[in-house]
Amino acid sequence: MTRVRALGVVLGCVVMGGVLAIPPSESVAQTTRRDAPFVPARLWDGKTPDFRGIWQVRGTAHVNIEGHPGGKGLAASRSIVVDPPDGKIPYKPEALARRQENYRNRATADPSLKCYQAGVPRATYVATPLQILQSPGNFAIVYQENHAFRVFHPDSRPHFDATDWWMGDTRYRWEGDMLVADVAAMTDQAWLDQAGNFHSTEFHVVEKYRMTGADRILYEARIEDPIVYARPWTLRTTLYRVTQPGARIIEDECLEDANGVRHHISPSDPRNLLKSDYSRWRKPVRP
Amino acid sequence: MRRVYLAAVLGALLGGASLLQLSAQSAAAPPVAPNASLPRLPGGRPDLQGLWLKSAGGFQGLFIGSLDGTNFAAPGGGRGDGRGGRGAGGGPPAPRYEYTPEAEAERLDRLKRGYEDPEARCHLPGVPRALDQPAALYPVQIIQDEKYVALLHEAMHDVRIIPTDNSPHPKNYWAWDGDSRGRWEGDTLVVDVSNFNGRTWLDMAGNFVDENEHVLERFRLLDRDTILYEATVTDPTVFVKPIEMRFTLKRVPAEQQILEYSCLEGERSLQHFTEEDGGKKRRVK
Repeated sequence: MTRVRALGVVLGCVVMGGVLAIPPSESVAQTTRRDAPFVPARLWDGKTPDFRGIWQVRGTAHVNIEGHPGGKGLAASRSIVVDPPDGKIPYKPEALARRQENYRNRATADPSLKCYQAGVPRATYVATPLQILQSPGNFAIVYQENHAFRVFHPDSRPHFDATDWWMGDTRYRWEGDMLVADVAAMTDQAWLDQAGNFHSTEFHVVEKYRMTGADRILYEARIEDPIVYARPWTLRTTLYRVTQPGARIIEDECLEDANGVRHHISPSDPRNLLKSDYSRWRKPVRP
Repeated sequence: MRRVYLAAVLGALLGGASLLQLSAQSAAAPPVAPNASLPRLPGGRPDLQGLWLKSAGGFQGLFIGSLDGTNFAAPGGGRGDGRGGRGAGGGPPAPRYEYTPEAEAERLDRLKRGYEDPEARCHLPGVPRALDQPAALYPVQIIQDEKYVALLHEAMHDVRIIPTDNSPHPKNYWAWDGDSRGRWEGDTLVVDVSNFNGRTWLDMAGNFVDENEHVLERFRLLDRDTILYEATVTDPTVFVKPIEMRFTLKRVPAEQQILEYSCLEGERSLQHFTEEDGGKKRRVK
């Protein structure tokens, strides 16, 4: 494990720690009963389900969505791939070889190490929170990670897919109280996790967001990519509301060290602050 | 015009394509009288929501150009050096900076090192530069409820989620965009911005602020399609007196949408600078 990677993990744990420290809320004890679906609150139009708030997954699926045994300071994770039932992404053989190569090179090749926008669905289950902004007719998600955001557009207009985006082009509709988002036009440069799981530009995601309690959103992404996968597959995870008072999305901007390697530096880290000693302002940050 | 900021020019070219015209059919401009009643949220606050684009003026409106002050964006004038003049399209006069002697020396030094403008390296622009991008280039999407006004900027995918409860600034928080706390004064959204990290520039010409920057912003909906934006920038260790700036944001027709801005992910600008400028490629003689 390189020093860079170690730092990333440490920072990730620190950030996560802040959220995981919340005492278990009542929602944890709640169980979803299929016969009594949760009815979310409404926006001020009296109609639109209210998904507003700060949300974050728990666990460490961002390390490898197919599951991993954990390690020093890193909790293990089960696969969040729910279809196929074996929890494995149904790669075509040549694509699987490419994933293995990505895995071997992950300490340097993961685009997130360069502080790139995470892409979809990865941005949903990274180790930092997201905030859903909403008003009647508007829906957007702001991801703390690298201050990426997605503005969800109504599906009454077709995708704008003349180019490839990191966060895709999102068209959505409501199916009852569930938000269904169709995401297309994505770059083939983004990874799905830190383990080198990947896709091509034929990547197509259908996301479902459904509240299963006042403080929980069940998130599901059905994924297809005829270039890379032998068949469509599905991942599922739960977003939990971040309930501590004053919780907010903080600015996440990377700084370069003297070797040009980028590091996430928290706004509360004094290294982020340059006092008005002008001779210092452009010096790279110490890793 | 020895050293042309290709990054700026390229940015401008790319920016031209940054608004997607989904339909060639132009929206018939609704006849809106200047004093027509404003759109409002149920609580009675003006509804600032929508997609907005800066018109002429501001700091950046004056400077897309070269080190000798030639301003490609303002053929009609504007030296782009923070010394006044008018911006592209005959916009409002540029704000004037009056630096402390020490800061003036620093500004002149940075003017020679424009390649170190943090925005050329894809960093967050800070405030007011977040809104004060070159005119008519990158839009901002505003989403609002009773607790927040959120600004989603296309440029640098910068995000400001501004609570409108007039809550206090935090301690031990220093950010590129500072910390924004808003309140409504009648129909005007007033935003107090503090807690800057001292790393941001105001433009590409070396004008800058440090960690003592403090900004008071005012957003006022003039009519359905126009927001008046005013900012007062104070920084006692940099400027002798506060800087005032104002420009308008115009509503973008509904058939256009905000697009993704990838900067780090596809950075191509630095290679256009010369090696002596800190770039990656020697200038072609």
